[in-house]
Amino acid sequence: MKKAAVAGLVTLASVLAVTLTACGSNSSSSSSTSSTSTSAKKISFPVATKNDKPSVSGGTLTVGMISDTAFKGIFNEELSEDANDSTVMQFGAESLFKTNNTYKIVDGGAANLKLDQKAKTATITINPNVKWSDGQPLTADDIVYAYKIIANPATKSSRYTDSLKDIVGMAEYNAGKSNEISGISTPDGGSGKTVVLHFQTMKPGMTQSGNGYFWEAAAPYHYLKDVPFKSLMASDKIRKKPLFFGPYQLSKLVAGQSAVWTPNKYYYGAKPKLSKITIETVSPATAPSAVKNKKYDIMGVSNSWYKNVKNTKGVTFLGKIPLFYSYLGFKVGKWDNKKGENVENPKAKMNNAKLRQAIAYAMNVDQVNEKFTGGLSFRIPTLIPAQFGDVFDKSAKGFPNNMDKANKLLDEAGYKKGKDGYRTDPDGKKLTIHFAAMSGNTNQEAIIKNYIQQWKKVGLRVELTNGRLMEMNSFYDKVQNDSSDVDMFQAAWSLSSEPSPNDLFSAGAPFNFTRMNTPEQTKLLSQIDSEKSFDHSYRVTAFKKWQEYMNKEAYVVPLNNSWGLTAVNDRVKGYGLNPTQAAGSSAAWADVSVTK
Amino acid sequence: MWKTILRRVILMIPQIIVLSLFVFILAKMMPGDPFTGLITPQTSPAQIARLRKEAGLDNPWYVQYVDWIGRALHGDFGMSYQMQRPVTSIIGERAINTLYLSILSVVLTYLIGIPLGVAAGRYEGTWIDTSIQFYNFISMSTPGFVVYMLAIALFGFALGWFPTSGSISVNASGVIGTIGSRIYHIILPSLLIAILGNASIVQYLRSGIVDNKLEDYVKTARSKGVPERVVFNRHILRNSLLPIAAFFGNVITGLLSGSVFAETIFAYPGMGKLFIDSVSGRDYSIMTALILLYGILTLLGNLLSDIIMSIVDPRIRID
Repeated sequence: MKKAAVAGLVTLASVLAVTLTACGSNSSSSSSTSSTSTSAKKISFPVATKNDKPSVSGGTLTVGMISDTAFKGIFNEELSEDANDSTVMQFGAESLFKTNNTYKIVDGGAANLKLDQKAKTATITINPNVKWSDGQPLTADDIVYAYKIIANPATKSSRYTDSLKDIVGMAEYNAGKSNEISGISTPDGGSGKTVVLHFQTMKPGMTQSGNGYFWEAAAPYHYLKDVPFKSLMASDKIRKKPLFFGPYQLSKLVAGQSAVWTPNKYYYGAKPKLSKITIETVSPATAPSAVKNKKYDIMGVSNSWYKNVKNTKGVTFLGKIPLFYSYLGFKVGKWDNKKGENVENPKAKMNNAKLRQAIAYAMNVDQVNEKFTGGLSFRIPTLIPAQFGDVFDKSAKGFPNNMDKANKLLDEAGYKKGKDGYRTDPDGKKLTIHFAAMSGNTNQEAIIKNYIQQWKKVGLRVELTNGRLMEMNSFYDKVQNDSSDVDMFQAAWSLSSEPSPNDLFSAGAPFNFTRMNTPEQTKLLSQIDSEKSFDHSYRVTAFKKWQEYMNKEAYVVPLNNSWGLTAVNDRVKGYGLNPTQAAGSSAAWADVSVTK
Repeated sequence: MWKTILRRVILMIPQIIVLSLFVFILAKMMPGDPFTGLITPQTSPAQIARLRKEAGLDNPWYVQYVDWIGRALHGDFGMSYQMQRPVTSIIGERAINTLYLSILSVVLTYLIGIPLGVAAGRYEGTWIDTSIQFYNFISMSTPGFVVYMLAIALFGFALGWFPTSGSISVNASGVIGTIGSRIYHIILPSLLIAILGNASIVQYLRSGIVDNKLEDYVKTARSKGVPERVVFNRHILRNSLLPIAAFFGNVITGLLSGSVFAETIFAYPGMGKLFIDSVSGRDYSIMTALILLYGILTLLGNLLSDIIMSIVDPRIRID
């Protein structure tokens, strides 16, 4: 996901969370459409194809992947964090577990999961019919090996996280103190079908795919065991001839450009309906022409040129709202490396809730979305996307544009207007707010300038850090290191399919870029992931309280989400963007076919 | 002459060292590093810090430089941070793609440029000259990427004559099939590069011919009754080719540098694109290896040009 969308860095911990569009993950849509477009013009798209014609047997399908770089070609989920690679391997890289449309893990996939809260274990039972594409069965060893690949420093996997340390013995293995991960046992032996994971603490999020506490893929131990960990990432067994247990297998590859997938004859599920799937990269420059000329059966569409191709005949535009949001964050402290903690500074320039709220109310987000995206982007009211269902706070209003309110808030907080029309801080000193923003598409500059003007209208002097929009590397350099010339910044997150906000906003989270850290925040966040939250209704309440708190304090202002669009030729049948459909689940590719 | 060449080659060594220092310092001065973009809620910063440390990025720049030079002298340019593969093998793959594309486009550029230049010079002031000048005026002032995109939309998508992306079809098999597919993929881009890129050849050649036509030795040849065809081919044309020959050394070494715009729009993985991507992704190992390669090629190209000049024009001696 490096450098995917504007800083929207997609998480792939859940194998499922990849669509054909460059940076989208998925979510259930029907429920979300109604609730998310709080104000902007309502626009909606079908989420799946509707094609009742009989399928052609042995049909072939072509997929275009928009990318301005060659894909890396690391075809192993434990080692890759690249969105393009995930897109290329989606036809074969099936997840261990099946999920429903709200990403909850359910039975019926390659393996079943059973959590035991008392014993603090998760038991994984492999479906005995599952075989790798070389005919070898999926075994307990394969699941264990995936953890070893992630945790062994020699592989240089970037997948190893603090969450995984919840598995007993993981940290010891990672530090080289033991050769086995003590908390992962195989009661029926390595070639058996059962794996038991022992946790230090059980988390309510464990029922959701993408939770990060355990891994949801397997690696073919029999095939990879001879390759030393050090050379695994560069080995041909990963780069050229990877093994998968999903419906299709990689049969031809032009490195970085294109790949052909053919049915995996050992597939345990329904027989794949296509004889061949070809995927190739398409330059962003020619992508609109490719859609107009129906060069590919399935292809991502960028919102910036959707209006140029939307009337193309014979193509259906499917849409889905990804688990994503952009936000405005206010720097109120610094990251303390020694403590490993965010330290909030009560005297920070931006540490005034009324000031922050006023800045948020002064932004005409709806107007901007209407003008620049025709409603494809829309303002969101809270930091929990609506696609998460009941944990989303439906009553949240967010910060709709209201200049009077913004002025009033600033007056109340003692930011007095001077003769030049600009306000001073409560101590009467000159106030200049430094705003860090990333360069993006062609509209970005106009949008940012518009906001600066909006703030000027309420008397706030806002200047761009560095005097202009920043390239992504410079931006993160400043924001991550709490540079003194950043008072507020606009960035974005792509979320994993487990909604807990702890990774992004807790006291110990380095990604909590605002550096907010309040006792109330810590309390609310820990409630969300507490034992009590195994009771779902308790968790729902905890989520709502947190969302209310975040909007009240406005350390982080939720801004936008946008539709993720895919152009699908009308001859395609059985394709859809939901988590249980092909764009979200490798297994569902078995159902995709083409008609005459 | 051999002595001179040897001396020039030896002189290149300090030049290359200075170049490599510059390259390295500049690369390190850019904000961010290969791991800057690796921020997702699910990657832990501790792990990133560890990878960064293992990659030696925490060391002071001179330590990194010495490490790098030491390995580079053994032909080891390290692993690409982004691709996680040896730099040499990545550059090797891209170099082949770029060679295919640039050889064909250079050949086509000369095939189109030389006859046009000759015609324009020989028929100076006629409608032939005017229309060639007009064509050059257009080809110089049209941005390449616009033409590439129009051509792909027309010949690639609408008419379907040419492939629209990549360097080879994934279904190509066999030696003939593979080479055929490669050539099929480069026809359109190289033709466009040639059509848009021959202005300097045409203009140098044209003005050379125009100037040489008035030279004394041409008049002498004519007054001696030498047939016009011989006068033109032997006296005028040969001398007019000099400036083009002077370029040729650089053209040969330039074959490897690639064309960023054409590669980007045709989604053709070549060297130009590799370079840009390595800069934006802070892939230091690829970036530094490429700049060093380009630097060496430029030095070699200049040397080659001088040698060619001395062969073409006996009056020029490079020692």
